[in-house]
Amino acid sequence: MNDSLRVVLAMMELELRRLRNDRTEVYTRAVQPVLWLVVFGTVFSEIHAIPTNGVPYIDFITPGVMLQSVLFVAVLYGLTLVWERDTGILKKLLVAPASRYATVIGRSMSSGVRAIIQVLIVIPVALLLGVRFIPNPAYFVAALAILFVISGGFAALSIIVASLLKTRERFMGIGQALILPLFFASNALYPIALMPHALQLVAAFNPLTYAVDAVRGLMITGNLALLPLDVAVIAFFDILMFAVASLSFRKIIE
Amino acid sequence: MTFAIATRGLKKVYKGSVEALAGVDLDVKAGDIFALLGPNGAGKTTLMRILTTQFKPTSGEAHIFGLDVVREGAEVRKVIGYVPQETSVWSDINGYENLLIYAKIYGLPSRSRKEVIYDMLESMGLRAVAGQLVKNYSGGMIRKLEIACAMLIRPKILFLDEPTLGLDPAARIAVWEKLTSFKEEFGTTVFFSTHYMDEANAYSDEVAIINVGRMVTSGTAEELKHSLRGELIKFSLSDRRVDEHTLGRIRGLERVNSVVVTDSTLNVTVEDAETALPGVMDVLRSGEISVVRIATTKPTLDDVFLRYAGTMRGSGAGARTTGRVEGEAGGNRRE
Repeated sequence: MNDSLRVVLAMMELELRRLRNDRTEVYTRAVQPVLWLVVFGTVFSEIHAIPTNGVPYIDFITPGVMLQSVLFVAVLYGLTLVWERDTGILKKLLVAPASRYATVIGRSMSSGVRAIIQVLIVIPVALLLGVRFIPNPAYFVAALAILFVISGGFAALSIIVASLLKTRERFMGIGQALILPLFFASNALYPIALMPHALQLVAAFNPLTYAVDAVRGLMITGNLALLPLDVAVIAFFDILMFAVASLSFRKIIE
Repeated sequence: MTFAIATRGLKKVYKGSVEALAGVDLDVKAGDIFALLGPNGAGKTTLMRILTTQFKPTSGEAHIFGLDVVREGAEVRKVIGYVPQETSVWSDINGYENLLIYAKIYGLPSRSRKEVIYDMLESMGLRAVAGQLVKNYSGGMIRKLEIACAMLIRPKILFLDEPTLGLDPAARIAVWEKLTSFKEEFGTTVFFSTHYMDEANAYSDEVAIINVGRMVTSGTAEELKHSLRGELIKFSLSDRRVDEHTLGRIRGLERVNSVVVTDSTLNVTVEDAETALPGVMDVLRSGEISVVRIATTKPTLDDVFLRYAGTMRGSGAGARTTGRVEGEAGGNRRE
């Protein structure tokens, strides 16, 4: 167990060191969430089209936009693995004395490192737009933890896709096709109650819905009624994804 | 005696029924530098990836220092180092960081970690560039860094898949000096595949040639060259032509394979030039033929390679002898 933790931490450290040497990706990836907040958020705040229980619309979607950013980083993390597959890095990692579970969880949680940094860029923009966060450090840290953990689950999903598709071109197609439905079939931009019944059903099975609810409760509304359910669903999703990804991981190099 | 590598009947059939390995038997002695030669697509990389536990063989078995690569993969991974053919370091961090991450993945104790890394950088001649991003390294520097990563844990055996591909001659020599020093200093077994016959000839203790998924021959480079029994003695003669009677006598000598005469040169192919030469000289002298100059040419490893693996895939390769080279030259190691 100790050995596995060490491998996971080493891989997260690797991600931080890579980020330190090249920050451009952090900034380019911040453009999209910032546009969602600045353009979509402010416009829809003005027209009051979506009932949000008295919360300003821009405040309502801030957690959704954060999670969209996390989702992007995580789902496209598989691309890193496809690149590492084309080089000899994955082969060498598989020959290292680390369990494949540790390798898979380590790589997945590496995307969490990147995701948290994206989120930390969105927050000051949201503050400038007048979003009011709950001023409770414990809630704030808990929200970041949720974002970090759910990112790992989505990155593991991405590893599964990468190990089945294996090439960059095929992966890019599916990557986009995963992100958008997950994002729109969730409560990120509108309450689930507004959706058609079929879509509501999809949203109920979408782990993003539970992550948005948890982060929204912890950062904006303070409504933590469903937090235990949210945490349970996210934990279940992560464990399931880690397990499947560990099984499919070796396929990536074949 | 426990072999560093021992395989029996190793087979690998890929999806779509491509038979990459067709039953490989291989023994590699501990502490040897072992060269695996073979044409593209012969199964070299497949063999190496099975031995390094990346995937399982379809049938047959393989042991690394007595550990089964399928059932004891985790134990095998603790004693092996591996440098794949493709670049296997992260290019967006520096050389020191690459070693640091691997040191942490491999669980080197944190007290000695820094020291071990700097020793390794020093010994590979990378100390001065340790702080530079790897994307600015030359091909030779990257290869040395990869070997450094693989050697961090002082593996008992180091696997290298075409370690000097694309390197300039100076970098190739530098890489081989390091690999040879690991063998001498730590007794590391080195198992490598290559297309460079000169490297196999100069640095390996033993050579094996694989073709169409089978081992076609193995032995020391000297044994293999000798096995061709095709050394050439070239006599430059003063103007007098050689009469048929003398030619017939030379042909009749033991261990003479062929005799060809052109204007003033006599080419005699023999099994072993050193032992055959006196006999041929006697015949020439008794025929009163004066010799101006004698040159002998021995087969190179290239000739061995072409002989055993020169045919195209599938053209009767299975019919070739697959045994080890026995023979008079046993124990006659490389200079």
